[in-house]
Amino acid sequence: MARDWQPDFEQLVDNHQSMVFSLALRMTGDRGLAEEIAQDVFLELDRHLGKIESAAHACFWLRRVAISRSADALRRRRVRGIGLWVELEEHHGLQLEPRTSPLGGRLEGLLAMLPEPQRAALILRYQEDLTPEEIAASLDAPVATVKSNLQRGLKLLRAKAATHLKEFVREKEYARGV
Amino acid sequence: MDEFERELRQAFARQPAPPGLKNRIMQRRRTASSRRSFPFFAWNGLAASFVSVSLCILAALAIYGGYEQRQAEQRRKAEDVRQQVLIALRITNRALNHMNHQLAAHGRARQESGDN
Repeated sequence: MARDWQPDFEQLVDNHQSMVFSLALRMTGDRGLAEEIAQDVFLELDRHLGKIESAAHACFWLRRVAISRSADALRRRRVRGIGLWVELEEHHGLQLEPRTSPLGGRLEGLLAMLPEPQRAALILRYQEDLTPEEIAASLDAPVATVKSNLQRGLKLLRAKAATHLKEFVREKEYARGV
Repeated sequence: MDEFERELRQAFARQPAPPGLKNRIMQRRRTASSRRSFPFFAWNGLAASFVSVSLCILAALAIYGGYEQRQAEQRRKAEDVRQQVLIALRITNRALNHMNHQLAAHGRARQESGDN
């Protein structure tokens, strides 16, 4: 079957590097590892370029592989006994973009406390703005499972955020009092 | 979508890729493609040839070593046999000399008794 779409690797990197890097970063919480994953994902795309049929297919493929490679990296790290997010939080502090709201800056840290499938679903939902059906296709999971992961993840995140917000208000009041 | 979800969407906006990420990807791609241009099978063939040649050399050395060892063993056995033959010849020689002396003594004794 003839294809009209001619893939331009450099253009694909230009268009999707931010997406792939952000997915890997939010899944792993480690900038270095996220960059390494992003590079590996694009090199894998280069090897599979002949099978990519359209720009949308490339985007879908990149999302899917980025999430999958991030999960693999987390698994490898877990085997070696390193809790990435915990380590980052405890020793280095999360270097996140400045946020407008007190909660915004901490949401990524709170996200890390969620189980991996819920985290992946939430990232694809709120970073990539995908529907549950699209997330299910990206994660190769049933739609019902994705919906359940989204609901549970959101509930858990909401609860954690509420606790965090209370602590934040208490700290502010204490600081004002001092 | 409630306030929290809006907050979430804002917090989860895509982060810019680190500077130079694209260049590093393109560099790795060039390295990978140059590696691909010397195909895997060529490397494989070279490795297989190297292993075969090494194995042949090792086998030849082993065979030659074994041959040398067998030769040395045979030389040692031959030397043992030669020493045994020499000892046997020496014993025979001594026995013959002894017999010779006895015969000569016997001859002389008979001669003396005849003269008397």
